[in-house]
Amino acid sequence: MAVSTADHAVVADPGVALAAAKARRAAGRALVILARSFAIFAPVFLVATFLTFALRAASGLSPATLQLGESATPDAVARIEQQWGLDRPFLAQYWSWFTDILHGQLGRSWTNGAPIAELINNGLAISLSVVALALVIGVVLGFGLGTLAAVRRTTWIDRAITGFMTVFSVMPPFVVGIVLVTVFAVGLGWLPAAGYVPTSAGTWPWFTHILLLALALSLDPMADVARQLRSGLIAAYQENYVTGAIARGLSPRRIFLRHVLRNGVGPALSVLGWRFPTLIGGSVVTEWIFGLQGFGRFANDAAQAGDVPEVQGVLVVSIVLVVTFNLIVNVVLGRVTPASQRGV
Amino acid sequence: MTTTRPDGTVTVTVPVARPAAPPAAPSAPAPSARADSPAAPAVVLAVCDVRIRDEVNDREIVRGVSFDLRPGQAVGIVGESGSGKTLTCRAILGILPEHFAVSDGSIEIAGRDIAGLTTPQWTDLRGSTISAVFQDPASYLNPSIKVGAQITEVIQVKSGLRRRAARRRALELLTAVHLREPELVYDQYPHELSGGMLQRILIATAIAAGPQVLIADEATTALDVTVQAEILDLLADLRERTGLALVVVSHDLAVVAQVCDEVLVMREGEVVERGATADVLYHPRHEYTQLLIAEHEQYGLDRYLDAPNDPNDPGPAEQRKELDGVH
Repeated sequence: MAVSTADHAVVADPGVALAAAKARRAAGRALVILARSFAIFAPVFLVATFLTFALRAASGLSPATLQLGESATPDAVARIEQQWGLDRPFLAQYWSWFTDILHGQLGRSWTNGAPIAELINNGLAISLSVVALALVIGVVLGFGLGTLAAVRRTTWIDRAITGFMTVFSVMPPFVVGIVLVTVFAVGLGWLPAAGYVPTSAGTWPWFTHILLLALALSLDPMADVARQLRSGLIAAYQENYVTGAIARGLSPRRIFLRHVLRNGVGPALSVLGWRFPTLIGGSVVTEWIFGLQGFGRFANDAAQAGDVPEVQGVLVVSIVLVVTFNLIVNVVLGRVTPASQRGV
Repeated sequence: MTTTRPDGTVTVTVPVARPAAPPAAPSAPAPSARADSPAAPAVVLAVCDVRIRDEVNDREIVRGVSFDLRPGQAVGIVGESGSGKTLTCRAILGILPEHFAVSDGSIEIAGRDIAGLTTPQWTDLRGSTISAVFQDPASYLNPSIKVGAQITEVIQVKSGLRRRAARRRALELLTAVHLREPELVYDQYPHELSGGMLQRILIATAIAAGPQVLIADEATTALDVTVQAEILDLLADLRERTGLALVVVSHDLAVVAQVCDEVLVMREGEVVERGATADVLYHPRHEYTQLLIAEHEQYGLDRYLDAPNDPNDPGPAEQRKELDGVH
């Protein structure tokens, strides 16, 4: 067929009309995904930031008590609160805080006046390294094990994998972390027991310092991915389109890679979406064990000190991370299984 | 929509694409030399006294089905659900459900006994020699892949064509199954198309590698009546133009009568009647066949439209007309 030789501007040319129709549909699909993503992101972000900001009012904490102690005079308290702009109406405070966030500013710490964005940035680099590595380990191993279990279903391999995954999923990361440190760092001395080295000091030292922690955190997502993938693949294998593909004479390998995997991977992908917050949350405890000054540790310290802007910063960053990660998962899901976008 | 009739007034411009490589069949004629005369083409599908057993409760579900099929022939299998017609088809395709097995008899596809075939041999055979379409076409296409890509996949894998050539062939096939705007349909997902269009696409995927035999297992059952008639016309048309041999399975006598020369009537796993379509329709010997026909006469719309035809010797056109109605 003549494909879009649109130079002549002949409106009635079927080739042009066809190309236009195709372009409209492709643009429509992309637009739908974008609009949908934004429609999820915007209200979640608004509501979550509002609740976060209401935290100060709800907690009754004030920078004055942090700086002056419990016995401060009301005058001194009022003066300091005025310095921080806390005497303004609640919504006005929220608005200026919110617009700052949109510009990447998270305010200043009550305890030391340092910009919170920078404080969080330092910790976040560490934590994201760990979480990303944990995700990679979890996804790769979970994928392999889940696939193996599905392909060899009802054999002893399947039973062994399913059993191990069940055990993994109920083991708290900090317990696994302690065991790993005891065995590999203290006992065998293969890996450092604590501390963090940035990538600028070399990839290998960086990798060895976060490996044990990442391993400890990876068990949960690994177990989830493996189990979801196993059941997703088994369900996909029972679909009629597999029979159809067999009848068309496609090889078992091709049927698995192109037809079954694509449709069976959905649940495993979406479980990753809600595993991510748990990973970040889990890092609070594990970072203590591994002596890392990460995002989790920072969050913990901020809450202990009653430094409300720091806690708010932590929450905002968490919200952005979690929502963004879920958006990515959704977009990938939409690409892999287009029918799921319609709830088909 | 296209209203090509199977009785000769077909006006199709694009021929159905046959594979670039010639089909492997002619080299292997049936060893038992089933051909009645030297001129008759070789049997492409020989089903001989096939019995299928359910290994769980050790019951025989299909008890002796036999028929031969030559290029361009069409055999119909009629029976109520549970009569074993679908299992017979699945046995021919080598896709019997778990714990069902062919316990006796033989099936030969293009002269090859399927009993000892390995998985790679089956993969070779399916698609390029024998293929199938089923009821509920939407579920037999991958929901996550554009329909055009699913046809192209078959062509690339089975005929070894490159991507562009395969795409061109797929578009020809979409035209050949009477889809309007094949270019547009090519890039659509199954959930964006109607049942009738999907069945045409399923047929296109099934014939993409140029098989000699096509099994249509209740292929028109889920479709509404006008679409059903169009799909049957399409099958008859393919048969006429390309010499495709058809096995048409339906619970509906009228469907089978519209396309097939020979009919097998099955009930509870047994073939209760077998013969040329006209004979079975007008001189049914078995009481079950008589019942099926009586039901048609009782519930069919034709009864209300005009007086019954002379049952003694109606011409083929009248036969078709009589059974073409609403079910």
